[in-house]
Amino acid sequence: MHSALFSLFLSSAYADETTAESCLKNKVWESYGTGWALRTMATATLAQAEYKVYLVTLYAGTEYRVTACGDAELANADVVLYDSLGNQVLRDMSEDREPNLSYTPSSTDTFYIAVHATRLNNALGKGTIAMALTYK
Amino acid sequence: MSKLSLALVLLFAACDGSKPTEETKQATPDPATMTPAAPPTKLTAEELAAAAQNVGLVPSPVETQKALEKAGISSGISKLVPERNFKLTVDNKDVVAVRTGVVLADALLTVKDAPKEKLIERMNLVKTGMAAVGAGADIQRTLDDLIARIQNDGVTRDNLIKELDELQGAVVPEIKYEAGDQVLPLIQAGSWLAGSNLVASAILASSKPEAGSALLRQPQVVEYFQRYVKVEGTTRAPSDVLTQLDGSLATLLEIAKKRAITIDDITVVKSTTDSVLSLL
Repeated sequence: MHSALFSLFLSSAYADETTAESCLKNKVWESYGTGWALRTMATATLAQAEYKVYLVTLYAGTEYRVTACGDAELANADVVLYDSLGNQVLRDMSEDREPNLSYTPSSTDTFYIAVHATRLNNALGKGTIAMALTYK
Repeated sequence: MSKLSLALVLLFAACDGSKPTEETKQATPDPATMTPAAPPTKLTAEELAAAAQNVGLVPSPVETQKALEKAGISSGISKLVPERNFKLTVDNKDVVAVRTGVVLADALLTVKDAPKEKLIERMNLVKTGMAAVGAGADIQRTLDDLIARIQNDGVTRDNLIKELDELQGAVVPEIKYEAGDQVLPLIQAGSWLAGSNLVASAILASSKPEAGSALLRQPQVVEYFQRYVKVEGTTRAPSDVLTQLDGSLATLLEIAKKRAITIDDITVVKSTTDSVLSLL
């Protein structure tokens, strides 16, 4: 249906990137079929227990989803949503490398998304985690 | 180009939050983080603020349009978008990037009810702007395909919204590899200005001021631009220009921080963003 966009999207997905980004872009693309749309994507390479924080503005009443994909170095990646005051709003409870969260804010505000490399298969190595914020 | 226009471009040029792979942070050493099943360390407000990157701080125009619809404001907004007499072929790539962001927002926010000819005109402006900033051949082909299908009635407006959203969210960010890191935040800055202006106009036209609190309370977005005026601007723009810019942003910030935004506040947002846009 969206052939030109699809090919451009995937060509950028596979040209020069990590398996984490490819995994994430496939998930995002599939989610378009169910009404989701992309706000942003970002990638970080992290050692065990390291984290990356992203600042986002979320609209009241809009449904948001944070989706992440870790590469094969990750045994457990986690995502946590904080409000602008640093209060934890939601956190993923899964023990895997593809965490996700859904949230619909009651008021428009700024939030923090923290992506954690909670556990690596090699504790002294590094792994890559790609994160996307989608909405509908 | 005026001094103020140049200063705007220079200041927005510093607003790049799109380098997600560089700096990382480590939680305070805690043996628990090395335990396989341990949850991630809870971060403090200070740790969050210090580590945060602004990759998703500015909502997309299509997301803004959906929020407008949820607030009951969606019909007739095409008529609120003013005619722009932008030149998108000037030598200064930064200027073109901000202007391209404005026309991209115009196209995205009006796709549902703009006349076909007007929509094609806006898409052609986006295409010209993208070419001028060096966005590469792939996005040109994509825009050509979209424009042809609009011309031939080969795409419904609902599907076009989706496709433009995909373009804005997934394809436009890739242009940094060809056009340079600086281009994307400049396009975002232009889109944010145009989006805020149109949201204020739409709320005023619909007499639904209560929507202002849901759509215009984005103080950290304003602060994001304000920080660069204060930090980067001192060496990049004349002091009188900085004073004007800082004043406009301070006005927007004061309103964005209010718990409840009134009709008077929305009128001020409209006039302030009108003034800034008129400088481009």
